[in-house]
Amino acid sequence: MSRTTASVLAGVRAVAPIILGIIPFGLVAGAAVTSAGFGLAEAIGMSLLVNAGASQIAATALYAEGAPLFVVVGTALVINARLFIYSTSIAPVIVPEAGAWRVLLGHPLVDQSYAATMTSGRFRDDISVVPYYVGSWLILAFVWQLANIVGALGGTLVPASWSLDFAVPLVFLAMLVPALKFRADVEAAIATAIAAALLVPVMPMQTGLIAAIVIGMVWGAARHHEHPRVEVDA
Amino acid sequence: MSERETFWVVILTLAGGTFLLRSLPLWLHGRAPAPRWLERLLRHVPAAALTALVVPASLYTRTNGSYDIAPARTLAALAALLVAVRTRSVIWTLVTGMGVLWVAQAVLGALGW
Repeated sequence: MSRTTASVLAGVRAVAPIILGIIPFGLVAGAAVTSAGFGLAEAIGMSLLVNAGASQIAATALYAEGAPLFVVVGTALVINARLFIYSTSIAPVIVPEAGAWRVLLGHPLVDQSYAATMTSGRFRDDISVVPYYVGSWLILAFVWQLANIVGALGGTLVPASWSLDFAVPLVFLAMLVPALKFRADVEAAIATAIAAALLVPVMPMQTGLIAAIVIGMVWGAARHHEHPRVEVDA
Repeated sequence: MSERETFWVVILTLAGGTFLLRSLPLWLHGRAPAPRWLERLLRHVPAAALTALVVPASLYTRTNGSYDIAPARTLAALAALLVAVRTRSVIWTLVTGMGVLWVAQAVLGALGW
């Protein structure tokens, strides 16, 4: 097996546990498109081209409610603004291996491929990080697309009472724990947790999520002492 | 413009905007020197982003835009956190979290929550 194939498969394996969790989201996203009065082409086109679940569901729902187009697109883009932070953060990891294709490597950037690459893939020397990153997205995109199609054709098959959507935060939790290497990481996580718990329910359009990430990264940066020897206790 | 064409305008505009958000930093990387403060800030993005995705989903359920506290999910997330810290295993974290969630939902449901 070539190194590239092995890297793709390692990426697939890294996100495999999350697949069960994205199926309910994909079903909802697909069903939203048909209940807004559109068909399979729109459901498939949207998930291929936009490739960002929460924003797809929000845009479709707002469109169906008759919101002005700038509100529909603006809201969805605010939800996706965290991808800009992810991209800035992952750039030093994937750009050196990417060459001329680097801009296209933006498209596979989703929560899961970012998390797998930043918490695990980049530390492994038995794989190449770019195929690992793309592989982790490929399997998700494939399942996401299938779930969208099924959702568009038949609605949401999985009963909501199964709470399968909870698999997604659980896998993120499992990825978070090994990412807490330094005291400043733990403090950043605690600051983010408090901010997210307070802000997400009260701020509109998932802006609370972005505010919480920014608060956590600023707190972590402020508390991260790179040169302990120059620190003097007051 | 038909409804369908208008919706395609939404899809394409959203796709273009999202692609820019994802790709602009990759395109810019290395073209301008990264200031030290930016590196410092970005170091904690994985921890902050993952926490921001986990915490609200463990505290609340959202129906039609309103947030309700979800004690069963909170219990399940705490159990999963313990297992994640002890085992470092994604599978065991997932199995514990879903298992505790289902049991807690059944018990709290029987108690009339």
